[in-house]
Amino acid sequence: MGGRLSVYAIAHSSRHRYPAVAQRSRNEVRLQPRKTAAQRLERFHLEVTPDAELSSSVDYFGNAVWLVSVEAPHLELVITAHSEVRVMVTPEVRLDRPWERDRLARDPALEFTLPSPRVPRLPAIAELARTLEVEAGDGAALYQAMGRIPEHLAYLRGATSVMTSVADVLERRVGVCQDFAHVMLALCRYLGWPARYVSGYWVPGEDLGTLESHAWVEVATPEGEWVGLDPTYATAVRDHHVSAAIGRDYDDAAPLNGVFVAAEPGETPEVEVVIRPLPDLPPRTGEGKEPRGGGAAWSLQ
Amino acid sequence: MAAEVARLFAERGVTFGVREHDGGMLHRPIPMDPLPRRLAAAEWQSLERGLLQRTLALDAFIQDVYGQQRILRAGRIPAQLVYGSSSYLRGASGPAAQRPGQIAVAGIDLVKVNGRWLVLEDNVRVPSGISYALAARWAMRKLLGRAMPAFGASRLEDYPRRLRAALRQRAPSDGELVVLSPGRLNAAYYEHEELARLMECPLVTGEDLFASHRGCWRRDGTERHPVTAIYHRFSPDYLDPLAGFSGSVIGVPCLISAWRNGALGLANAPTCSIADDKSLFPYVPEMIRYYLGETPRLDQPPTLDLSQATQRRHVLAHFRDFVFKPVDGSGGKGIVFGPIADGEQRAATAAVIEAEPASLVAQPALDLERLPCVTADGTIEWRRCDLRPFVLLGSSPWVVPGGLTRVAPDSDAWLVNSSAGGGVKDTWVAA
Repeated sequence: MGGRLSVYAIAHSSRHRYPAVAQRSRNEVRLQPRKTAAQRLERFHLEVTPDAELSSSVDYFGNAVWLVSVEAPHLELVITAHSEVRVMVTPEVRLDRPWERDRLARDPALEFTLPSPRVPRLPAIAELARTLEVEAGDGAALYQAMGRIPEHLAYLRGATSVMTSVADVLERRVGVCQDFAHVMLALCRYLGWPARYVSGYWVPGEDLGTLESHAWVEVATPEGEWVGLDPTYATAVRDHHVSAAIGRDYDDAAPLNGVFVAAEPGETPEVEVVIRPLPDLPPRTGEGKEPRGGGAAWSLQ
Repeated sequence: MAAEVARLFAERGVTFGVREHDGGMLHRPIPMDPLPRRLAAAEWQSLERGLLQRTLALDAFIQDVYGQQRILRAGRIPAQLVYGSSSYLRGASGPAAQRPGQIAVAGIDLVKVNGRWLVLEDNVRVPSGISYALAARWAMRKLLGRAMPAFGASRLEDYPRRLRAALRQRAPSDGELVVLSPGRLNAAYYEHEELARLMECPLVTGEDLFASHRGCWRRDGTERHPVTAIYHRFSPDYLDPLAGFSGSVIGVPCLISAWRNGALGLANAPTCSIADDKSLFPYVPEMIRYYLGETPRLDQPPTLDLSQATQRRHVLAHFRDFVFKPVDGSGGKGIVFGPIADGEQRAATAAVIEAEPASLVAQPALDLERLPCVTADGTIEWRRCDLRPFVLLGSSPWVVPGGLTRVAPDSDAWLVNSSAGGGVKDTWVAA
């Protein structure tokens, strides 16, 4: 593992304001950066107000999930994930030779070729493939699709919500990174490639102040590698991405998934993401600290 | 006799719910036929072995698809049937999903056609009906009084005790065992109440419970009682809004987290739905061969794969010979019965077959064995019947002798489902 190393500090904060007192709440948090060949988790710290009980487990897709349980009545819940991640440049893998049908039929990657709750099979996708001039075949089609999605869809902050359907996005031709990723997933699957959703962060290498979380896709090669493609920035994933969770689509990898007990329904939480490049320190070693009282937990790789 | 058992069922409140137009549920006495079905000891023993074999293979399959997925990698079952199933509950995966005994109770539907028993359906998601078999036996005892023992029917009254033991076996610690019901809007609410009473467990709804990854508690006024295992009657995707269907308002947040974490027993495990998927039904014999290395003891009718154009054309050309079932349905919901379908149903089904062929399966419409039944005016007529035996996977597996015999409402009717107005009769297995 060689190449340039960069370390980023990421603070991802979400504030839920409840319209009435929540008697208790339960939230699943998928904000702990993944441990992969391309990134190393140096530090992770979840901070919760009010006091909460925290526990972590691994979900079906291998994501670290933190369960945040608040037992006391509360009007507001603030969950902040602090991460330090070392991003590494790994040898580039190109999507090239397509899958053989028989081989894919027995490979677990088959799961990611099928329609999923948020990425159903749509006639509009065949149409889009024609418009973008992409055809089933080798991996070149995927780069073509990735490059041309931003020509077809306008990136417009606030134009869609986390609930917006792919059909709606294609009709209105606007969206944010999540929508771009869903459209890209639909195209990859239409072309017969296994593709999964990735939620995480765009880390451009300079201090940009307050940012947003990001989303892109990964496509499986027949050799079992997952290659990141980012249709929002029309770029293959190299060293400007930090991934936090994967799944078939947004619903599997959602940063936050919560329920609370209260008399009225809640509103969408306010989210703030701050990413800072850190001076390149030597990697930390040693034991992780035990979960601390006061609604916080530490986890070291 | 018919009036007498009807009175007994009405008095005891042995009811099954029918949906009313306003969305409410009307619980009305289920029809009971006083002429028992009798099964010879040898015939039953052969069924019993086949039922046990089938349940053990289904249990092994559930553990495998939530674990190593060996059967998929081996290419013995098309993997897309599992990955593409709406009954594959990824939120339940983890070590708890890979332990034997995912199934606590299975209800396997059998029919007899031309003297031959066939399996029609496996129910391991939320198998229901045992309380109606218990009620039918109770009514026969009332009716026959001291003459009853002379008939030598094997006892099934052990069921609640054995179900309780199976639940206790799944409990990680001391604490309460409870029965969790979706409430009175569920058609089988009578059964939930009855089983809770017979098992001596509190009957609760989602509102009575709260959970965290450390376990589950029952609220009782200001008190909190730790709950260690739950016999639930929920479709598993509604059990926990965090793990399944996030719109669920009847579930308990974190219930599946507690189970995954080994802090709570759930019977049946929330993983079980996958084994009810009707597109996997044709592969149960393959599961028996793969996991148990045995030859299947029970036969089943062929199931047509409607994703293949030739099979699609065939069923559309011979619509009246087939029954169509939604792959994720249960309780007779959405079933279209070719021999009695009207033009409208036929057109709607054909449209679904064209648009979403994987959402349905087709099986030959079978002319079920008819058994004598007493009509309202006291005459005898022959009505179609099936049999739902129950298998319990406790410390030692047990098949309830007999099970629930379901009876079509009249001599013309094809469907025996309680939701279609069907009734029940007692089932006597010679001891």
